[in-house]
Amino acid sequence: MTMEDEGEALRRRLEESLDLHPDDPSLHFDLGLLLWEKGEKSKAAELFVKSAKLNPENGVAFRYLGDYYAHFSADSQRAHKCYQRAVALNPDDSYAGEGICDLLDQGGKESLQIAVCLEATQKSPRAFWAFRRLGFLQLHQKKWSEAVQNLQHAIRGYPACADLWEALGLAYQRLGMFTAAIKSYGRAIELEDTRIFALVESGNISMMLGTFRKGIEHFRQALQVSSLDVAAHYGLASSLLGLAKECINLGAFRWGASLLEEASEVTVEIMSLAGNISCIWKLHGDIQLLYAKSFPWMENAWGLEIDQRTLIDSIMSWKKKCSVAAVSACRSYQRALHLAPWEANLYIDIGLASDLGFFSEENHKEGLNSWSLSEKMCLGSLLLEGENSEYWVALGCLSNHNVLRQHALIRGLQLDISLAVSWAFLGKLYRHEGKRQLGQLAFDRARSIDPSLALPWAGMSADADVRNLKSDEAYECCLQAMQILPVAEFQIGLAKLALNSTHLTSSEVFRAIRQALQRAPHYPESHNLNGLVCEARTDYESAIVSFRLARSVMSSSGNYSKSSLKDVSMNLARSLCKAGKANEAFQECEELKKEGQLEPEGLQMYALCLWQLGRNDVALSAARKLASSILSLEPSLAGASTSLICSLMFFISGLDSAITSILKMPKQLFQSSKVYFTVFAIHALDQSSQLESIVSSCSYSVVSSEDISSMHFLLALGKLVKHASKNHLGIQKGIHHLRRALHLHPNSSVIRNLLGYLLVCSREWNDVHVATRCSGVELYDRKEDDFLKSGFEILGAGAISCYTTGRINKKILFSTCREQGLFERDPILQLQRYLHQEPWNHNGRYLLILNYIQKVRKERFPQHLCAVLQRLIHVALSNPLYLRPETSNEYKKFQLLLCVAEVCLQSGNYIDCLQHARSASMLQLPGGCLFYAHLLLCRAFALQDNLVSLTKEYMRCLELKTDCHVGWVCLKMIECQYKLLADATVLALCFEECSKEIKSTSNMWSAVYNLVQGLFAAKMKDFGAAEGFLSRACSLAGDESCLFFCHGTICMELARQQRDSHFLSLAIRSLKKARETSPRTLPVVSLLLAQAEGSLGNKAKWEKNLHDEWLSWSPETRPAEIYFQMHLLSQRHRDSSQNPLRWILQAIHLNPSCHRYWKVLLNVNG
Amino acid sequence: MKLASPATIPDAHDDSVWTATWVPGTDGSPPLLLTGSLDETVRLWDPNNLSCLQTNTGHCLGVVSVAAHPSGRIAASASIDSFIRVFDVSTNKTIATLEAPPSEVWQLKFSPDGTTLAAAGGGSASVKLWDTAEWQLIATLSIPRPEASKPSDKSSNKKFVLSVAWSPNGRQIACGSMDGTISIFDVARAKFLYHLEGHCMPVRSLVYSPAYQDQRVLFSASDDGYVHVYDADGKTLITSMSGHASWVLSVDVSHDGTALATGSSDKTVRLWDLKMRAATQILSNHSDQVWSVAFGPPGRIDPRTCLLASVSDDKSLAFYQYS
Repeated sequence: MTMEDEGEALRRRLEESLDLHPDDPSLHFDLGLLLWEKGEKSKAAELFVKSAKLNPENGVAFRYLGDYYAHFSADSQRAHKCYQRAVALNPDDSYAGEGICDLLDQGGKESLQIAVCLEATQKSPRAFWAFRRLGFLQLHQKKWSEAVQNLQHAIRGYPACADLWEALGLAYQRLGMFTAAIKSYGRAIELEDTRIFALVESGNISMMLGTFRKGIEHFRQALQVSSLDVAAHYGLASSLLGLAKECINLGAFRWGASLLEEASEVTVEIMSLAGNISCIWKLHGDIQLLYAKSFPWMENAWGLEIDQRTLIDSIMSWKKKCSVAAVSACRSYQRALHLAPWEANLYIDIGLASDLGFFSEENHKEGLNSWSLSEKMCLGSLLLEGENSEYWVALGCLSNHNVLRQHALIRGLQLDISLAVSWAFLGKLYRHEGKRQLGQLAFDRARSIDPSLALPWAGMSADADVRNLKSDEAYECCLQAMQILPVAEFQIGLAKLALNSTHLTSSEVFRAIRQALQRAPHYPESHNLNGLVCEARTDYESAIVSFRLARSVMSSSGNYSKSSLKDVSMNLARSLCKAGKANEAFQECEELKKEGQLEPEGLQMYALCLWQLGRNDVALSAARKLASSILSLEPSLAGASTSLICSLMFFISGLDSAITSILKMPKQLFQSSKVYFTVFAIHALDQSSQLESIVSSCSYSVVSSEDISSMHFLLALGKLVKHASKNHLGIQKGIHHLRRALHLHPNSSVIRNLLGYLLVCSREWNDVHVATRCSGVELYDRKEDDFLKSGFEILGAGAISCYTTGRINKKILFSTCREQGLFERDPILQLQRYLHQEPWNHNGRYLLILNYIQKVRKERFPQHLCAVLQRLIHVALSNPLYLRPETSNEYKKFQLLLCVAEVCLQSGNYIDCLQHARSASMLQLPGGCLFYAHLLLCRAFALQDNLVSLTKEYMRCLELKTDCHVGWVCLKMIECQYKLLADATVLALCFEECSKEIKSTSNMWSAVYNLVQGLFAAKMKDFGAAEGFLSRACSLAGDESCLFFCHGTICMELARQQRDSHFLSLAIRSLKKARETSPRTLPVVSLLLAQAEGSLGNKAKWEKNLHDEWLSWSPETRPAEIYFQMHLLSQRHRDSSQNPLRWILQAIHLNPSCHRYWKVLLNVNG
Repeated sequence: MKLASPATIPDAHDDSVWTATWVPGTDGSPPLLLTGSLDETVRLWDPNNLSCLQTNTGHCLGVVSVAAHPSGRIAASASIDSFIRVFDVSTNKTIATLEAPPSEVWQLKFSPDGTTLAAAGGGSASVKLWDTAEWQLIATLSIPRPEASKPSDKSSNKKFVLSVAWSPNGRQIACGSMDGTISIFDVARAKFLYHLEGHCMPVRSLVYSPAYQDQRVLFSASDDGYVHVYDADGKTLITSMSGHASWVLSVDVSHDGTALATGSSDKTVRLWDLKMRAATQILSNHSDQVWSVAFGPPGRIDPRTCLLASVSDDKSLAFYQYS
């Protein structure tokens, strides 16, 4: 059955029922509904009428009737009534409600509409249609706050209705609740992203709130929806303008310019849409005007040779671009004015633009009358709106007549006394006229009214002399002005104020002068100052370029005085000199000399250049000329000149002649600390101390603690030189002096580090330990001079030279070194921190590698660490640094090669090892160093059993000789091990010779030498000889536990072999000594002692020592033997807590391969 | 804007913590923090319950940099010996090992689209780029040497590249050198464009503004104690902000581009308001220099808030709530 048939059937059924019950209203209604849907409207209407008559409470019937009358029989009167009835019956009936309102709307009866809606809203809070209608109507009537309430209510019923949100947004916007408005619009856009009104309006609000970035986003979105929307275009252009202003106020001129270009393109687009809107032309004018005022000069990458033509061309084209923009701005304003001549502010705009345009073109047209164009335009505004104080200020700025300016500004103030701008310009005017007192007052007034105005701050810093401001304060004021408004004048002023102060290197000044260059490239001072800033930041190349640019600009414009040209030339010469271009600097000086402008400062440079060029005679004569005028100079210049003369004398004609000329000089010259240091340095080098009197008489000039430490530094270096023997510096004397100095000035890091450095250099026993302790590791002590060693370097060097330092794995190694635990942290970690801080520092990397090999050695060369190390070294070696023939680099390369050879040796790669060691031995280094390369070769050959080559290398070592004991000791070990040479005296002799250099601790080395001999004798089973060597060693070094330990052990062995109790007592003595002198409990010592005592029959001591032995091991490291010994102890004390059997079992568990333990176990069990 | 009082993990690592980066959240996990330390490990942290989720070992020397892929699934870490380990964040499975000569890898950053990994090339005075599909070295962007000088240690040392940053559109790379210059490269053409000058000491950290209209804005932190704001396209120094008493070691910008956080040798973390161009808050909860600060992704509940993490030589790690 089809739908139609179904409908038919239903109709028939209903008609039948209606025939049966003609008084049933619902049947009438249902049938009516059916017919209504079928389109038989009039029949349906009849049925509805009947139904409504029978049941007047049925609102729906009335609604249909209303619809019928409204749309099909055009009887609005009846329709109105029916709808009214429907709404009265059910106020929530939105259809009827909308119907009645539409009817009323058609009839133009707004107030009735409102009344209907109000009634509905009062009747039911769920009559959302009424709230919505009411909200819209109130919006239409501009009753914003009522509208907000109703719209909010309506939104509860229709939360997804974009219209409502948009309307709410508008209401909020008009009420000034912008954030709420933006949120509402945002919701509308979320619901329907083509809501152009919401987009444009939220853009407008963002712009009003100053968040131009948001604004741009909104307008762009709007333009995507409708690409021809004028409002969106206009909004986009003005947001871009706003953002550009923001950028330009930060000094980002290029960014600003690119934004302005974009904005300008947008306005051009609108003009094609609607060319007759005044405000668009005004906007275009604004954009162009700002462009003209902020377009930056593009700084090219100027080479060293500056083509003046190109420079001038680039400046001219920059000017041209600015002036074209200004003219275009002026034209746009004129068009705007043409369209809306009643807008007073447009006159001012034209005035401003034309003022700028003519400035750029630099042609002042003298008109027919004395009024300038911009002045006249201002008057135009004022004629239209004479009461506008800002127009008066504009007149005050644009006028050429001071009297008129003053009048205009004062008139502006009369209209608005708190007009800060007017006060500021008035201040400027007064200052210009020389009435500084008045100017100051005006500026102060302006500043107190509006501190965010730049001009008063600038005025304040300009008046620094009158106001008695310190130079720092003046600088701060100017900085403030510049930060508020980055114009070139303020920026150049800031740089000028920063000259001769520490600010010159600061980022603020750098930023200021770079920005100034972009806006004032035609002004030589900006280039000159840029050069000075670069010079202060040690960027001499750029400084030279800038000074040359400054000169080019000067000579092209032609109206600059000779003295300023001279200043720039001087600056240029100085920078050239500093950049190491003595030749060019010399030429500059020659030029100045020709002009006769070589004043003392220039003369200094001249002398220096000459000396650097090797023309010593002329340099000396220049120095003499300088000396002749020295007394007439101001103190600082005189001091510098004196230092220069002294140094030149020293370098050119030697120490003696320098001293004689110093002696001739008047003493008052030495009072500045800098001169004093020059003299002092010369004095330090002088063996005969001729300058003693001058040095001591002027020592009061050294006051600051920094200077005092520098003085000690020099003194110590002097001692090194003065007490030097033929090959060696007098390091001990230097150390002695520094120790005393450090006592006086304990917090001077300069002294500390030098002391540490000297200690590391010294070859005395144990000095290295002290070195790492005395130099503090400061994290941020960046050294400026390569000569001064930092704490980290000393730490690194000290850690390398001391095998026992660092984080030892205490479980395995039992060090007898007294100086343990000096390093709070692992030096490798410390060096990594250093490297992390200064990753470019090759020295740090080098020290890290050397320390790393120590660590690898300590861990017995595990494979993976070797791989890392090899990689590190290979890369370090490939560094171009090591290709340059400098001794220090060669030495480092040598060390690295030895390291990599050692690693190869340890990992069994003999071929590579030999190759590296050979290339190390080829380096241009003193024999004392190369010795070690050959030593390594010895070891490599020895491991290969190549005795012929081994002997050859051994002989080579003997020839080369070293001045380090360790080297000889190692060689001795090889000699002994491979029985190389019967004649042992050669080596011993060399060793003795080596000891001469060291005074206080040479015994220690002899002891070590004896130790080695003793150990080898023991190895050869010649225990008698071994005992002899070791007892000598013990007597040489009184407090080294390891020597005593060895001696004791040998004695025990002798006692065992010879069954001689004399050796037993010797052993006991030595072992006891070993135990006493050792910094920590040594294992095995007590065990041996126990045995010795036991052999002598002293059971109590045996027991005690065994206990000590037990305690001297940490639980996880105890060897099997201890457990075994403990079993003996527990056997003696049957009552002890642990069963002897358990001890034995534990011993066997640890070392199952020992037959002795098994045997005892059998016995015990048996 | 404000940083709420920190939640600190005192001994987050066994030794100085040098680097930190946020791993963006994935479907399965919230945003996590990755840190690298002198103790040769890389650790993964859950900021919600301040717990360490994972400790990755494998480096032989201190870890100087960690970087996370924008997908949040892979990350890379580099140590002083210049091994770069690329690994799966959740499983710690090694995906690739990239090798460069020691001293030739410093800071790492993934490109915004995740196709490239850039490494500040340290002593090689360049930025190295690896593609993230095959893990092959695809380009080396070298800083041109000044014309006058010959290839000696001084000049190459001066150009030691410490830091690197991608512009948000992925077209530009900025790298900071030891002499204080910042070099800008065009990535597509692998071409050096120009220098940005103004710092006179090493530039240790760089970051571009992520805000849509400010993508040309570059922030830099240097040992000279200044934070600079550059217009990277316009070659202009816009603002310099001072306040730190010592080196500024790290800088990061909030996701809306309005706030800046810096960490410094003076042991403080500072929050800067970019509108005011001034520090609004100084936090001194660390007891040693602060090596790294990092803003996390915006919060899920309130996108105007996010977490800030800072790590320091005092071995600790701190999280702050930024709002």
